[in-house]
Amino acid sequence: MNPLRMPFWGVDAAWLFYLLAALAMACLGLGLWEKISLWRQGRRAAPAPSSKQALGPALADVLLGRRIWRGGRIAGLMHLMLLWGFLGLFLGTCAVAVDHYLISFLHGRVYLWFSAGLEACGLLLVLGLMLALARRWLLPVARLERRPDDTLLPLWLLAVACGGFMVEAARLAATAPPWGAWSFVGYGLAGLFPGPEAARELFPWLWWSHALVSLGFIAWLPWSKLAHAIAAPASLYLQGQPLAVLAVAAEEGDLAALGLRHLLHLDACTRCGRCVEACPSARAGEPFSPRDVLHRARRQARLKYSPLYRLPWLRGRRQALLERDRAAGWEDAWYCTTCRACLEVCPVQAAPIEMVRKLRAGLVEQGSAVPPPLMDTLEKLHRYGNPWVAKKGAKAAWAAGRDIPDLSRSGQEADWLYFVGCTTSIDTRAQGIARALSDVFTHCGVSFGTLGKKEPCCGDIARRLGEQGLMEEQIEATRDLLNGRGLTRLVCTSPHCFDTIKKVHPLFLEEGLPLRVLHYSQMLHRLWRQGRLTFDHPMPLKVTFHDPCFLARHNRIVDEPRGLLGAIPGLELVEMAEHGLNALCCGGGGGRMWHEIPGQANLAVRRLEQAAATGAELVVTACPLCLIMLEDARKTGGFEDKFGIIDLSELVARALRLTAAMDEEAV
Amino acid sequence: MKILVLVKNVPEVAEAELEIEQGALDLEDLEMVVNEWDNYAVEEAVRLTEAAGGDVHLMTLGGEDDEDVLRRGLAMGAHSATHLCDEAFEGSDPTTLARVFAAAVKDGGYDLILTGVQSADLGQASTGVLLAQELGLPHATMAIALEPGAGEVTVTRELENNTSEKVALPLPAVVTVQSGINQPRYVSIMGIRKVRKMTIEMLEAGDLGLESQALGREASSVAGQSLALPPVGEGAQMLTGSLDSVCGQAAAILREKGGLA
Amino acid sequence: MSGVLVIAEHRQGALREATLECLGAALSLAPSLGGQVTAALLADDPQSLAGELQGRAHGLKLYAHPELAAYNPELYLPVLADIIAASQPSLILMPHSSQGMDLAPALAGRLGLPLVTDCAGLSWSDGALSVQRNVYGGKAVLDLALKPAATVVATLQAGAFQAPPAGAAPTASDRTALTELAPRHARRFLEYLAGVVEDVDIAEADILVSVGRGIGGPDNVPQAQALAEALGATLSCSRPVADAGWLPKSRQVGTSGKTVRPKIYLALGISGAFQHQAGMNNSGTIIAVNSDPRAPIFQVAHYGIVADMFEVLPKLTELFKG
Repeated sequence: MNPLRMPFWGVDAAWLFYLLAALAMACLGLGLWEKISLWRQGRRAAPAPSSKQALGPALADVLLGRRIWRGGRIAGLMHLMLLWGFLGLFLGTCAVAVDHYLISFLHGRVYLWFSAGLEACGLLLVLGLMLALARRWLLPVARLERRPDDTLLPLWLLAVACGGFMVEAARLAATAPPWGAWSFVGYGLAGLFPGPEAARELFPWLWWSHALVSLGFIAWLPWSKLAHAIAAPASLYLQGQPLAVLAVAAEEGDLAALGLRHLLHLDACTRCGRCVEACPSARAGEPFSPRDVLHRARRQARLKYSPLYRLPWLRGRRQALLERDRAAGWEDAWYCTTCRACLEVCPVQAAPIEMVRKLRAGLVEQGSAVPPPLMDTLEKLHRYGNPWVAKKGAKAAWAAGRDIPDLSRSGQEADWLYFVGCTTSIDTRAQGIARALSDVFTHCGVSFGTLGKKEPCCGDIARRLGEQGLMEEQIEATRDLLNGRGLTRLVCTSPHCFDTIKKVHPLFLEEGLPLRVLHYSQMLHRLWRQGRLTFDHPMPLKVTFHDPCFLARHNRIVDEPRGLLGAIPGLELVEMAEHGLNALCCGGGGGRMWHEIPGQANLAVRRLEQAAATGAELVVTACPLCLIMLEDARKTGGFEDKFGIIDLSELVARALRLTAAMDEEAV
Repeated sequence: MKILVLVKNVPEVAEAELEIEQGALDLEDLEMVVNEWDNYAVEEAVRLTEAAGGDVHLMTLGGEDDEDVLRRGLAMGAHSATHLCDEAFEGSDPTTLARVFAAAVKDGGYDLILTGVQSADLGQASTGVLLAQELGLPHATMAIALEPGAGEVTVTRELENNTSEKVALPLPAVVTVQSGINQPRYVSIMGIRKVRKMTIEMLEAGDLGLESQALGREASSVAGQSLALPPVGEGAQMLTGSLDSVCGQAAAILREKGGLA
Repeated sequence: MSGVLVIAEHRQGALREATLECLGAALSLAPSLGGQVTAALLADDPQSLAGELQGRAHGLKLYAHPELAAYNPELYLPVLADIIAASQPSLILMPHSSQGMDLAPALAGRLGLPLVTDCAGLSWSDGALSVQRNVYGGKAVLDLALKPAATVVATLQAGAFQAPPAGAAPTASDRTALTELAPRHARRFLEYLAGVVEDVDIAEADILVSVGRGIGGPDNVPQAQALAEALGATLSCSRPVADAGWLPKSRQVGTSGKTVRPKIYLALGISGAFQHQAGMNNSGTIIAVNSDPRAPIFQVAHYGIVADMFEVLPKLTELFKG
C-alpha cells in the first residue's frame, strides 16, 4: 500500500470549510491591504532607498535571529523554534495545497519524510510557545509586558498546533495505517483514544474545532503582533540603508512624512521591551519609553492614514483616540538623549531614535510645546552660533596666547582644520580639551588651524532638537566657509560635531568639495601608529573609559581610544560593566545638556556609579558633553574623593608632560 | 476681532558687553531681537484670534533691517504687517512716535491695540498710552491677563506687592502687555521661511500725511543726550580657603550684616 | 508758572511710599526751580491718607469723591487737568509705578506736555530739566537734556530718591469735595486681586536666600528652604527657576520679577544675568556662591564663594541650626 495523504478524510460538508476559509482569508487580506496601503502612502512621502549590500546581513538576521540571540540565549532559542516551526508548517501547508490542487507528489517516501518533517516543526512550535508562555508567567522577564494578547496569541497558536496533533492522532487511531509511526507525535498520542471506533466518532469534532481555531488564527494574523513576520525583515533591511535627510512633519505629532522606512519600523516592533531596558532615561525612571513613543506613533499613523479609519462608523472612535493622544502631548520626546542604545538592542532595528527627532521637528515647527530653556538655546544658536552665550565672537577665547592659524582668513594655510565646536570653545571646563589637543598636535608636528571667531555651529544641536531649518542654515554656512577656503580635511573635538559633519553635511554638499572628517581620537591613534606620537613617561594609573555614544554606538569607534590608553606605559584600563557599544549614556546628548525637564533624573550619576565599581582613579572620556556631565555628576553625586574625570586629549597631554595641559586642574 | 500689535526691534544686551562710542551704543557686536514685551503681546494677540477668530496686524517703526521683527511675528501667526520706515522718524520722542503711529492706525478699524509695557532698550514705557491719547481710546497698562467679552475687554493689571487689579475697557482700546502673560511660542527657521513671500506694507512720513518738520529731533522735547556706561564696582571680595573655612567666613558675615545670633 | 506738583499714589487705604520719594525729589529741586511743592491726593477719604504728606510738601490739595477709592485714569485726568491749569507747575512728578506708567503718559498726551519716565536723577538749570535714566536693562546710563518747556511730566525710578523727613516743609492743605466727576465713558475699575495668599512678599524680607538654575530641580528646593529657615530668611529665586515652576513666580527676583533690597542677599547657583542683577543690586550685602568663578554675579556681589552650592548649603545650614 502506497502511503499518501488523505484530505478531508471522514469530514462532511467540505463546502462549509471552504466558506469559512474564504472568510478568514478575506480578514487576512483586509489586514494586509490596510498595512500595504499605509506603506504605500509612506513611500509617496519619502521612498526608502534600497541597495543589495544590506540584503545579506538582513537575511542572516531574519533566518538565524542573530540580533535576538545576542540579547538573550533563551529568547533567541525561543524565537528560532517559533520561527522555524511556524515557517516549516507554513511551507508544509503550501506544499499540501500544491499537492491537492496542482500536482500530486505527496506519496511514498516523500510523503513519509514530509510527515515526519511537519511533526518536527509542530513539535518545535509547541515547545517554543511553551517557552514563550513560561517567560511571561513562570520565570517572568522584567521587560516583557503581560497585555491580554501577549498571552492569548501563544495560547491560540498552541491550540492550533495541539489541535493539529490531536486530529492526526484520532485519524491514526481510527485507520492505523502501517506508516503511522512516521507521524511520530500523532502516533504517540493515538494511544489516548480507547479504540478505533471512539477515535472515528471524535474525529469530526476534533477536525472542525482545529479548523475553526486555525482559520481564526489566520484571520487574526495581520492584526496581531505576528504581523512583524512581514515588517521585521523589511525593517532590518531598511535600517542598513544610508541616512536620508528627513522632511519636516507638517504639524505637531504628524507622522505623515515619516516615510516608508519608518512605517515599516513601526510595524516591525513586537514590544519585546529591550529598548526600554537599554534606554538610560527609562532606566532612571523618567517618564519616557522608546517603546511607548513608537507605539503612539504607530497608532497615530493608523488613525490618520489607514483607509479603515475613513469608514463612517470608525470616525467617532478615530476622533476620540486622536484627541486622547493630543491631550497627552508629545512632550516626552524631549527626554530622549539620542544615545542609540535602543536601536543597538532592538532585534528588528526599529527603535524610534529618528522618530523622536521627527516628533521634535513637529513640536519645534508648531512652537508652543518647546520647553522654554530649549527656546533660549535654539535662539542663541540662531543668533550667536552657539548654544551657550548670547555674545558674538566667544569662540576664540580659549586660544588666547596661542599662535594658531585662523583658516577663515585668506593667506592662512594648514593641512588640517581643527573644528573645535561650540562647547569646547566656550565652556570653561571643556576649553581644557581644546588647549590640550592643540598642544598635542603641535607636539606631534601636525599642521593645523582653526576657524577662530568665525567657526560656525555645525548644526548638530539643531538637528538633535528637530530645528530642521536652523540645521540646514548652519550646514550651509559651514559648507560655504569650508568651500570658500578650500578646506576638506577636518578633525573634530566633539563626537557630536563629528557625527553630523560626517553623515549629514555630505547630503548638503552636492556642489561642495568632498570632506574627510576624523574624530580626534582617530587622529591621535593614527599619529601613534605612525610613530609621531610616542609615550616615554610611565603613568601608573588605573583608568576606566566612558565611551561617548556618538563615538561608540553611532560611529563604531571603540578601539582607537583604547589603543591610545594601552600605548601609555603603566596605565591600566579597567572596563565598566557596560562599555563599548553597550556603554551607558551620560545624559548630555539629544539637547539635554541645555534644558531641564520635569521629572528629570541625573543620568550621569548612574554612569559614575558604574565607574566607581571599577576602582579606577580616573574616568577618561572623549567628548566635551560627557566631560561636563560627568564632572558635574562627580560633584553632585559625591564621587569627588573617589576619582577624577579627564578627557582623553588631556590625559594624552599629561602623559606627554606638555606643561600647558598640566595647568588644567583635571585631577 | 481685529487686533493691531506694535512691535520693536531692539539690541539684545543681556549677556553682551556694551560699548559706547560718542555717546551712543555701538551696535556692531549686538544682535537685534524682538522686544521681549512685544513678543508677549504678539503671542497674546495670536492666541486671542486662534480662540475666537479674527486678524492680527503688526506694525513697527524703524530702519530697513527692522523688517525681521515683522517676519518673526508673521511666523508666529500674525496675518499682515506694516513697516513705517523713513529717515524723518529718526530721533523722535515717544510723543512724536505716538503721533506717527496714530496717523497709520486711525483708519484701521482695530478692536484692540496691543504693545509691550516697555522696550528693553530705553524702557520709556509710554508709547502705548500716548497712542491711546492720540486716538482718543481708553487704555490699560501692565496686562497680565486679557479676557475679551461683548464689546469690551477685561484686563488684569499687575500692581506692586503681588497684587493685581481687574479693569474693564470698552473696545476699541489700547492695552500694554507685561512679560509673563503667556509663554510665547518658538519661531522656527522653517516658520520664518514660510512667510518670506508675504508682502509687508511700507509707509513713509508722506504716506501718512506728516510733515518732516513735525517729526524727528526738531519736534522732540529732548535737546541733547549722551549715553555712558555705569561706574563699575570693584567686584566681590572672594572668600578663600577650605570649604569649612569659607562657610565659616560666610556665617560670620551673615551674623554681622544680618544681625543674626 | 512755578513749582512742582506731585501726584500722590495710594492703594487699598494706604499711601504708597513711592509718593514720599517723589516729594523728596521735588523738595530738593524746588529751590532751583523757584517755587513750592504741592502734593495732589485724589481719594475717597483723602484726609485719612494725608498724614504722611503733612510736613513734606508746602501745599496739599485733597480731592474727595467716593469713586476715587481706586485709581482710574478716566477719573484722574479731568481733575488733574484742572489743577494744572490753575497752578501751572513747572514739573509734575509721580512714581514710575504701575499707576505712574498708566497715568503719566496719559496726562502728558492729554495736555500735550513733554514726558520723561523712569528718571533716576533730576536737575534743573536755565529753565530746563535734565534727567538721568538707566537704560538697556541698567547696563548704560542715559543723560537727557530737555528743551525748555512750561511744564514737564516726569516719573521717578523706585528707590532712586530719598523720602524727606517729616517737617521738611510746613504744609498748608485744602480740601475740595468733588461733587461731580467727569462722566465716565470708558475704563471701569472692577476689583483688586490679592496674590496667592500662602505666599510671602520677598520685597519685604530682611534676608533672602535666592536660588538659581544651579538648584537643578524641584527636588533640591527643600535643601535651600532648610537654610532659609535656619537663617530666618525668605526663599527667592532667579527667573529660570520660576519659569520651570520649581518656585512660584511671586518669588522671582529681577526686572521681570520683583526688585528687592534686603539687608542680606545670599545668591546660590545664580549666574547673575543682568535682568536678575537689576532686581537685587541695591541689596545691603550680597553674598554669592557659584561654581563658575567667571559668573557675572560676582561683579555685583560684595562677597563671593567659588564652590558648589550643594556643598555650601548643608554646611551653612548646620552653622545656623544649633
